Amino acid sequence: MKKYLNLLLLMLIAVVAAACGNGEGSGTGSESDSGDALAVTLLVETTGDLSFNDSAVEGIAAAQEEYGDQVSTEVIEYGSDLSRMEGNFLDAADEGADVIIVPSQFVDLVATYAPDYPDTQFWLFDTDFDYEAGDYENVYSIVYSANEASYLGGYLAASTSESDVIGFLGGMDTNIIRDFYVGYAQGALEANPDIEIVSSFVGAWDDSARGKELGLSMYNQDASLVFNVAGGSGVGLIEAAVEQDRQVLGVDSDQAAMYEAQGQDDYAAVIPTSVLKNVGDSLNRAIGLHLEGNLSTGATDYLGLVEEGVGLADNDYFKEAYDQELIDETLEKRQQIIDGEIEVQSAYDMSPEEIEEVENSVRP
Amino acid sequence: MDVLNLLTDSNFWFGVLRSTTPVLFAALASLMSSISGITNMALEGAMLFAALFAVIGSALTGNIWIGLLFAVIVSVVVTLALGFFKMRLKADEIMVAIAINLLATGGTVFILYLITGNKSTSSSLPSGVFPALNIPLIENIPFIGNVVSGHNILVYVAFLSVIVVYYLLYRTALGLRIRSIGGNEEAAESVGVSVEKTRYTALLISGILTGLSGAYLSMGYLSIFTAGMTAGRGYIALAASFVGGTNPFGTMLASGLFGLFDQLGNQLQSISNTPQEFIFMIPYLATVIMYTVFAYRRSTRQQRANKKLMKQREAEAQ
Repeated sequence: MKKYLNLLLLMLIAVVAAACGNGEGSGTGSESDSGDALAVTLLVETTGDLSFNDSAVEGIAAAQEEYGDQVSTEVIEYGSDLSRMEGNFLDAADEGADVIIVPSQFVDLVATYAPDYPDTQFWLFDTDFDYEAGDYENVYSIVYSANEASYLGGYLAASTSESDVIGFLGGMDTNIIRDFYVGYAQGALEANPDIEIVSSFVGAWDDSARGKELGLSMYNQDASLVFNVAGGSGVGLIEAAVEQDRQVLGVDSDQAAMYEAQGQDDYAAVIPTSVLKNVGDSLNRAIGLHLEGNLSTGATDYLGLVEEGVGLADNDYFKEAYDQELIDETLEKRQQIIDGEIEVQSAYDMSPEEIEEVENSVRP
Repeated sequence: MDVLNLLTDSNFWFGVLRSTTPVLFAALASLMSSISGITNMALEGAMLFAALFAVIGSALTGNIWIGLLFAVIVSVVVTLALGFFKMRLKADEIMVAIAINLLATGGTVFILYLITGNKSTSSSLPSGVFPALNIPLIENIPFIGNVVSGHNILVYVAFLSVIVVYYLLYRTALGLRIRSIGGNEEAAESVGVSVEKTRYTALLISGILTGLSGAYLSMGYLSIFTAGMTAGRGYIALAASFVGGTNPFGTMLASGLFGLFDQLGNQLQSISNTPQEFIFMIPYLATVIMYTVFAYRRSTRQQRANKKLMKQREAEAQ
């Protein structure tokens, strides 16, 4: 009996070994199948946020459509469990992807592992990267000059504020969020030197109830519009605006259009426009440049108004909220930024003290 | 506007009551279970499930009260599950609670996605909001009227619950049984109290209160569900109920202090240049301080009682 058992065990081991061997075989097989196609893997936390992540996924899908057989794309959702970030990231690298596209949360992982995979390119979006720290020829990063579009948002907000007070709600106090702030403040001051800006930070991306409290608090201080740079917490801000009959400046994607599509018209009605980060377009653009061999890795690309990496949402709410004269004025400002006549300050180039100085200069 | 102006602003105090409510419901829920001898850390997860199902129930039926019923049922099921694992399967209640809370974080998003195709908000579900209530006569009193009247109906329910829980715990036979099994299980059992049945009853009430808290978040505080919207309020409530001791009015006071500090933090941000990092710390710092004071008072009270006993014994010996 024991003998049979041993035999059975041996057979089992043989089968498993064969299966494994087979797996590896088919793995190499598929690699040679897609040999000349560029294998692109995108890692995002979750899709379905109707904003940032979905935009990235759309950009990848657009590239797949545009370049057909030249690329083979894959999207991996690593979920909100941060401990799975590293595993998924390394899996993608080990599976032989040519390009791995990751959001700003991956900066440290890219810095650690990129030198171990010299044949793989790592593209970071929405963040800066320290190229001086090592040999990072295979890293490329995209920074959206959100300050430029925020300048235009601040300009519109301050031009239409009757109370001379506008607001700013941030999720977390980071450089990415401060970049919105400094541009917004500069644009607002350009339109109205007497403008005052109240600002608050939620300290979380998902606390919509606190977002609402902070929103109510700022509207209570006569803010006519609050800039919503608070992710999921910002939903509360929009509710506060609906209750108080004030305005919200949307962020990242066209939030009015998004809520309108969801049937939440009362939300859409308080969002005259949104400061856009065209994440999808920027990824599509990078893939195109890479295929042409024109992508300069080992450096950060700053995509501003010129490259259409950022912009303002133009929709019916926008046209209704602002008269043509103001829209023309804003377009003029936009052109001046593109031509370099107006230089918009950026939080990436400023020290914390300088940012605080800006904040204090507009504080009520 | 400075802090003094803030404290004399009726809007501020109105906000304090508003942000106290979810914590108060959940803290009473925690009190109900802890007094029966089981720590209900699954509050956070049960609240999150309740908040989601309130919206789903309301959107499906077009009736806010059925939404409330959905929230309460889901929360009761989750809370009773905690009791089942603890009492029948002899699992550690903290471990089970952690599992429930993690399940809620992912599970609510999954259910939300199945129903709406959206992973962050329920904005495509046409759910209702509980009505606000203006209290006649009181609403005409200057200042106080502005603070007390005009709240969402669940805010009043929360404060009435304090009285109900107090009455239940200290004026009914069931309350006595609940307190006795929390105090000394074996002693209660020896006089014929069914520990399991009584504890399930306490958890049932705890689940109802948690359900109200979740429903308030998504159908009162806000009008939609957003992923992770409890944002630690369940844990804050747990702390509040321990600070408040065994008396529901103490729980109310502790929850109110949280509401006060929370609101103070929110308002301070835009009116002063206190560093944000410090402001975020305020409610948690307040927890530590309140709990320290509470623990100190309890230990000195114990010491005084001991001293008194010693003196009595000395007197008897002489």
